[in-house]
Amino acid sequence: MTRPRYTKIRRDMRQARGRILLMTTAVAVSLIAIGAMLTARTVVTREASANYTATRPASATLDIAGGITPDLLTQVRTRPGITDATARQTLTARVRTGDTWHKMLLFVIDADDPLRISRFDIERGTWPPPADGILLERSAQALLDNPTAVTVTAPGGQPATFTVTGAVHDAAAQERTAYGYLTPQGLTRLGPTPTHHQLKTSIAGDQHTVDTRARELATWLTSQGHTVNAITAPPAGRHPHQSQIDSVTLLFLGFAAAALLLAAAVVATTLGGMLAQQTRQIGILKTLGATTTQILGTYLLLTLAVATAALLLAAAPAILAGLALADATAGLLNLDITDTSIPTWVLAALAATGLGTPLLVALAPLTRAARTTVRAALDHRGTTPPATTRAVRPARGNRLVSLALRNALRRRGRLALTLALLTAGGALFTGGLSTANAWNTWVDDGLARRHYDAEITLTRPAPAHRLTELLRGVPGLTAAEPLSSAPAVPVRGGQVEPARTYPDGGHGAFNLVALPPQSRLTDFELLRGRHLRDGEPGTAVLNQTAATRLGDPAPGTHVTLRAAGTDTTLRVVGVVAEVGGPATAYTAHEPQATATAVRLAYDDPAALTRAEQRLADAGIAAATVVPTAELRTAVDEHVLILIQTLVALAALMAVVGTLGLASAMGIAVTERTREFGIMQTLGATPRTVRLTLILEGTAIGLAGSLLAVAAGLPAAALVGDMLGTLSFGLPLPLAPSRGGMAAWAALGVAAAAAATLTAARRAGRLTVKDTLTYE
Amino acid sequence: MPTPPTPVITVHDAAKTYTTPAGDFPALRDVSLTVAPGEFVTVTGRSGSGKSTLLNLLAGIDRPTSGSVVIAGTDVHTLPESRLSSWRGRTIGMVFQFFQLLPTLTIAENVMLPMDFCATRPPRERHPHALHLLDTVGIADHADKLPAALSGGQQQRAAIARALANNPPVLLADEPTGNLDSATADMILELFTAQADTGTAIVMVTHERDLSTWAHRQIHLADGRIAHQDTP
Repeated sequence: MTRPRYTKIRRDMRQARGRILLMTTAVAVSLIAIGAMLTARTVVTREASANYTATRPASATLDIAGGITPDLLTQVRTRPGITDATARQTLTARVRTGDTWHKMLLFVIDADDPLRISRFDIERGTWPPPADGILLERSAQALLDNPTAVTVTAPGGQPATFTVTGAVHDAAAQERTAYGYLTPQGLTRLGPTPTHHQLKTSIAGDQHTVDTRARELATWLTSQGHTVNAITAPPAGRHPHQSQIDSVTLLFLGFAAAALLLAAAVVATTLGGMLAQQTRQIGILKTLGATTTQILGTYLLLTLAVATAALLLAAAPAILAGLALADATAGLLNLDITDTSIPTWVLAALAATGLGTPLLVALAPLTRAARTTVRAALDHRGTTPPATTRAVRPARGNRLVSLALRNALRRRGRLALTLALLTAGGALFTGGLSTANAWNTWVDDGLARRHYDAEITLTRPAPAHRLTELLRGVPGLTAAEPLSSAPAVPVRGGQVEPARTYPDGGHGAFNLVALPPQSRLTDFELLRGRHLRDGEPGTAVLNQTAATRLGDPAPGTHVTLRAAGTDTTLRVVGVVAEVGGPATAYTAHEPQATATAVRLAYDDPAALTRAEQRLADAGIAAATVVPTAELRTAVDEHVLILIQTLVALAALMAVVGTLGLASAMGIAVTERTREFGIMQTLGATPRTVRLTLILEGTAIGLAGSLLAVAAGLPAAALVGDMLGTLSFGLPLPLAPSRGGMAAWAALGVAAAAAATLTAARRAGRLTVKDTLTYE
Repeated sequence: MPTPPTPVITVHDAAKTYTTPAGDFPALRDVSLTVAPGEFVTVTGRSGSGKSTLLNLLAGIDRPTSGSVVIAGTDVHTLPESRLSSWRGRTIGMVFQFFQLLPTLTIAENVMLPMDFCATRPPRERHPHALHLLDTVGIADHADKLPAALSGGQQQRAAIARALANNPPVLLADEPTGNLDSATADMILELFTAQADTGTAIVMVTHERDLSTWAHRQIHLADGRIAHQDTP
C-alpha cells in the first residue's frame, strides 16, 4: 500500500492541478528551448565538422608561380610530413543565367585526379564532365535557378557555354558564390591556359605542424627554383563557420538556461504559495511526528514530479525543434545532416538540468516552509498583516485602486519575486528584440557607408586614371572610383604567416586595398586614430577584423604585409568599422597607380552594363561584377536564422514571465479567500472583488513592464556586445527596439490582467459561506 | 502504603512570557503540576488564562521562559527542535478543536500518518492497525471516506484514533468538544475515559467548567496561575 504521505502529495497535486499545470508548462517550455538549442548545437557542430572533414580539405595550399608539373608533384608527395598532394587550378570567373551575371569560382581538376584532396560528392551526373560540360555545386544550382546550360567568362578569355552535366555537394562551398567544376579541356574553351598553380597538400598533425611543414615545403620548393607566392592553411578541420556556430549556439543556450531559471523561479513561487496554503497542515504533520526532513522530502518529491512531467512533455518537442533548427542551419550552411542521432550525454544533460534546476531553486522556499515551527504553523491565518505597524495615510481618490495597491504590497517578498520574474522575462524579451534591431541597424548603417552600387573586378590591372577617364560620362553613372586589391599575408618577426583563407577566397581572407584617400564611395566609421590622408604613403587604416588579426596594433605601430611576393611595411594610423568585408588593410591609392577593380555608383541600374561595355570596348575585361545588394543578402543570410531564433527565445521569456504572474495572482486569491468573504459580508459585490484583483494584477504587470523595459537596455547591450564581437569583431550598437518595448509594456499589462482574470473570476464566484469556512 | 505511580508529566515552576509590540505578556506564571499514567486531567479557565500555553508547553510546541517540563522521562524544554517532531510523534497524541484531519487523505490514511512518519510499525501492519483503532472509536465503516464526508463527531473520533496511532503515553486535547453538540461531546469524553483506563495520561483543555463526571482531576487556571484543583 502506498505510504499516506505520498498519497497526500498525489491528491494535493490533483487538487491544485491548475497550479501544477502552470508550473509544468513553465518548466516544459523552457526545457524545450534548452533541449532544442542543445540538440541543434550538437548536431550542427558535429555535422559541420563531419561534412567539412569529408571533403578532405587541403591542410595547406601553396600557390606556385608557373604551375606544377607531374614530376614536381611526385617529388612533393615524398617530402617529409606530406601525406598526399595534388595540383589544381582555381579561377574567379563569372557565370550568366538570363541577363544576370554572378560571381563564380571555377575549380579546374584533371580528369584523372584521384580526388583524394578537396573532394566533393557527386549528387547527379559523373566526373569528369565532357569538355563542353560543367558540374555545379548544388547551392549554385539554386542560385542560378537550376540551369541546363550556363555561359561562363573567365579572366582574359571569351564567354563559352557549358552544359550542366551534374551537381555536386561541396561542404566547403559558401554563400552567394557559384562553384563550378570542369576539366582543363573545358577551361581551354574559355581562353586561359590551364596551369595547375595550386599545390594542395595533406599534412598530418595540428595547426602548428601543418604550418611548419608547409613552410618547410615552401623553402624546399624555393631551393628547387620555384616561386611560392602564398601559403594558405585554413584552421585544420574547422568549417569556415565553425567558431560562429560554436559561439552563437552557446549564446542561445545561455538564453534558454535563463528561461529555465525563470521557470524554476515560477516553480519556487508557486510552491511557496502552495506551502503557504498548507502551513497549518505542516504544523499538524509535525504534531503527528513528521520531521523537517520528512516534510521537505515530501515536497521535494512533488517538485520532482512536476519537473519529471515537464521533462517528459518537453523531451520529444525539444528534440524535434532542435533537429528542425539544425536542419534550417544546415540548409543555410550548405551541409548535409547524415546523422540525426542525439548523443546520450545531451539527453542526460537535458534530464539533469530539467530535474535538477527546479529542485535546486525550490530548495530554499521548501526548506523554509518545512522548518516552520508547529506554533507558527498552527497560528498561520493565510495572510500576513502589513509589514509596518505605522499608521497608514487614509486613501485618496478611488478606494478600490488604493485597496488593490495596498494588497499588492502586502506580501513584499512575493511581490519582489513576481516583479523579478516579469522584469527578467521582459528584459530578455526586449533585449532580444533590441539585439535584432541593433543587428539590422548595424548592417544598414554599415552598408550605407558603402556609397557604391557595384564593384567590378578586372581581369588585369589597368591604370587608374585611364579607368576614370573611360567611365566619365557614362549615362546614369554618378561616380567611379578605381582601387587596387591584393590578397595579403601578415609578416611577423620576418616569418610569413600562412594565410587562413578558405578555398572560397572570402572566409579567413586578408586583403591589402589601396583606395583614394578622399574616397567618396566609402565612409567607414572611425573607431580610433584617423583616416588616410593625401600625400602620406606607407600609412594604413585597418578594419576591425584586420586589427584583430594583427593583434590590435595601436595607431603609430608598424605592420608588415606580404602581397604578390613583396613585403610592405605600413604605419597604422587608424582603425575603422566595416560591415561585410574580410580583414582589410587600406592604404592610399595614388592616381597614377594601377587598379584591379573599380567601384561604381549609379542612379540607373543600366549604367552598370554600359560601364562594363565601355571598359570592354577599351580592352579592359571584367572578372567579376558584384552588386552591393548581394553583400547585404550574404550578410543577412548569415544571421537570418540567428535573429529568428533570438526572437523565438524572447517570446518564450514572455510566456514564462506571464505564467509567473498568473501563479502569483492565483496564490494571492487563495490566501485571501477568507478576506473576500468578509468583504462580501460588508457589502462588496463579486464584481468589486474581481475588480480589486484585476487592478492589483494590472498594477503589478505595469510595474514589471516598466522595470523590464529599463532592464532590457543593459541586457541588449550585453547580448549585442557578444553577438557583434562574434560576428563582426565589434560590439553591436545599442539600438532599443521601441516596438519591442511598447509590445512588452502592452503585453505585460494585458497578460497581467488576463492572468489575474481566472483567479479573479474564481474569487468572485466564492460564496460568503465558502470563504468564511475556508481553512 | 502503596507507592504512588511515577508521574508521566512533571511541570515545575514553568513560566511563559510573550513579547508583544504592547510589551511583555506573562501567559503562564510559575505553574507546577504532575500527571500520573492513566489520569484524565482537565484544564479550564477563561480565554487568556494560559490554558493553551500550558498545553503547548506540554506538547513541546512552545518552550517555557523558565522552569521545566518533563514528559515520560524526557526534558522537553531542552530537546532540540530537530528531535522534537519525532519525539512528539511517539510520545504525544494531539486532538484539536477543529479536528485538523488532512482533507486529501481518507480517514484510514490520516490514522496511518503518524505510524508512517515515526515508523513505529512495519508498513504492512499499519493499515490493519488503523482499522482497529477506527473500530475502537466506532467509525471503522468510514475508513475509506474523506474527512469532508463525515460529521463533526465522526471527524473528532477519527482525530482521536489518529492521536492514538503510535500508542503514546500522553494524550493532549485542545477543546476537543468545543465544536460538537452535547451528545457527541459526551461520546468523545467517554472515549477519553476508556483510553485513560488503559494507562494513557490525558490532559484536556476546555471551556466547560464541570467535567467531574469524566475527569479524575480538574485544574482551573486564572491569569496564568493554577487557581485551584478539584479532585472529584
